[in-house]
Amino acid sequence: MSIEPKNVTAQLHHRATGNPPSTLPDAAISNCFPGLEFDFRNVWRRLFEGIEVHEANGFVVRAEGELQRLEGRYLVQVADTPVLLDVRGPAGTQEDASLGSTFIEWSNAIADVLRTSAGQLVPCQFLDPDTDPQAVETVELRIRPLFARSEVTDEQLPLIDEVMVQPGELTQSLCSPWQNDYRECGCYYWAASRPDYVNVESTEQGPSVGNNWMARQREPKQYEPDSPTNPRQISYEDLFRDWQGLLRFIVGGRDYD
Amino acid sequence: MTELFELSAPRSAQAHLVDSGGGLHLLVPDGSRLYDVDAAIYAQLDRLQRTGDEDQLRELLQRLGLDAPRYVDDAAPEEPPVRALSLAVAQKCNLGCTYCYAQGGSFGGPATSMELRTALASVDLLFGDVAAGERVNLSFLGGEPLMNRPVIHAATDRARTIAAERGVDVTFSITTNGTQLTADDGEFFEEHGFAVTVSLDGAGAVHDRLRPFRSGRGSFDRVIERVTPLLERQRRMQVSARVTVTPENLELKETLDAFVALGFHSVGFSPLLRSPNGNHELGSTELATMLDGMVSCGAEFERQVVAGERYPFANAVNAMREIHRGTHRPYPCGAGAGYLGVSASGELAACHRFVGDDDGALGDITDGVDRERQARWLRERHVHRQEPCRSCWARYMCGGGCHHEVIARGRPACDYIRGWLHWCLGAYARLTERRPDYFPAGS
Repeated sequence: MSIEPKNVTAQLHHRATGNPPSTLPDAAISNCFPGLEFDFRNVWRRLFEGIEVHEANGFVVRAEGELQRLEGRYLVQVADTPVLLDVRGPAGTQEDASLGSTFIEWSNAIADVLRTSAGQLVPCQFLDPDTDPQAVETVELRIRPLFARSEVTDEQLPLIDEVMVQPGELTQSLCSPWQNDYRECGCYYWAASRPDYVNVESTEQGPSVGNNWMARQREPKQYEPDSPTNPRQISYEDLFRDWQGLLRFIVGGRDYD
Repeated sequence: MTELFELSAPRSAQAHLVDSGGGLHLLVPDGSRLYDVDAAIYAQLDRLQRTGDEDQLRELLQRLGLDAPRYVDDAAPEEPPVRALSLAVAQKCNLGCTYCYAQGGSFGGPATSMELRTALASVDLLFGDVAAGERVNLSFLGGEPLMNRPVIHAATDRARTIAAERGVDVTFSITTNGTQLTADDGEFFEEHGFAVTVSLDGAGAVHDRLRPFRSGRGSFDRVIERVTPLLERQRRMQVSARVTVTPENLELKETLDAFVALGFHSVGFSPLLRSPNGNHELGSTELATMLDGMVSCGAEFERQVVAGERYPFANAVNAMREIHRGTHRPYPCGAGAGYLGVSASGELAACHRFVGDDDGALGDITDGVDRERQARWLRERHVHRQEPCRSCWARYMCGGGCHHEVIARGRPACDYIRGWLHWCLGAYARLTERRPDYFPAGS
């Protein structure tokens, strides 16, 4: 069966195999971690044959057959690349203190492993949090290629393999900006879409005055740090009930009425 | 050309099939989307069209992934801004063409000229709510507009001044019988980049019979004498020929080649479907002959495009551009929406043809557009409310036909319009294979 779009409107209507336009990166208006349009982290959940990990860290949520013993453990290293790291830095009076462990975001951590070892077995280290001291086991797992291949020509396609991310998964775990995340992500975390310090005016003494975007009242002009429990600021519940009535558009740094 | 009538007959509102000789094609009218399809799909669609099973046809289109949210809905545009005006600066004419919709130029009333203040107020209306970067068009028609030259100059100057102040892009056009053109006009039109349309109905005696002076004397030699200097100096201005086709001038190919040779920027044909006294209107036999002529001109256009040559057959050039873009619209033109005509006395009409006609009256330049009448016009003229358009595959390419002709005479030319569009769809399909470079990418 062959059908080819010919003129411009037909071409524009044509949808290539793959994800819907609303999930394409070039349509994104903000970050994608987790993002407003899609949560790219979901792509990595089935990177390893036989196990499925949580999108936000290496926690094994499901495993098949004899690998089931890995459920509840954390993936901490892939080949020579650690994905869970001890973080050190200044804290209090110490210049080099231990700040605990943190998971390294998948796309950054294992891009190189994927590039060099797709389709191959690689040693993966799993940490069991329930043992003391925490036991680490190394298991050889095969890395799935990210991209699908053509059934006809066997060429690699510019299409994420459905084995890696099934329909609907890319839009799971999205941000819900109006109701929740705009409360959550203050202090210029989302520079593009989330105002923080608004209606700013310079004073003769030097410091500026202005409002926290979340302030219920604009007078007096005084910035207060984000706090969902501050009664002078819009709360989570307020947003759930009436975000559209409470949040204000900011144009040129000022409330747009 | 009854074969084209048959091939283009309206079998389904959802799909139309074209065998271009170079391939098999499907037009989905909603969105004017054109596809190449294989023989199996073509045969399936053809079978369903023949049985008239629209539900199954819809299901098949869905299975093929061709269903889509509607491109054209039932809603009429609300209070569309005025972006083009034509001023009937002279409701009088020195020619006596018997088929003229303006009945000798005066639209059935006394011969009048537009006063300067009316023209300037019209220009102000045109620029009323235009924002920087937008585009407007000011055109001059009649009657014979060059019988009121000072007003054309003053209105043009006013428009240029306002456009410069406001950062608006303004274009100018004029439709003239050509008999009064002067070297100064050429200079003026060149300076302001006018699109100049000259009405010419054939070469020599053919034109003379259809477009005589009021004395009865032929006007062709005079027009050519006057227009030739303009043809030679056109750089910014574009001088085109418009041919009104009647039963007396059906030799399209000869006419086209004669005018192309003279150096016209483009040459276009329009069938005469309605004249105030019924004179020279085309019947179905003549429309079949005209379609033959159009296809003959179109075939030459196709040959020239393949050879990489310019051949300014306006009907084909425009059809290729619109089919390529997938232009789809619920009206035949902007009349009564973004485009209005202004009579010499300042009444607004749905277009230049409706001057002095109650059917198309839409306010005046003093009080502006009568939005209530306009809303009714746009609601009633929407192609979804026209019959038999609603069930025709060509409805969004044709838009329902010229309002002025349809209101007065109905739709006698549907077979002709569909036949021409069917041929154009095939020509487009062939040209995209043979000369893809003819079509701009992504527009």
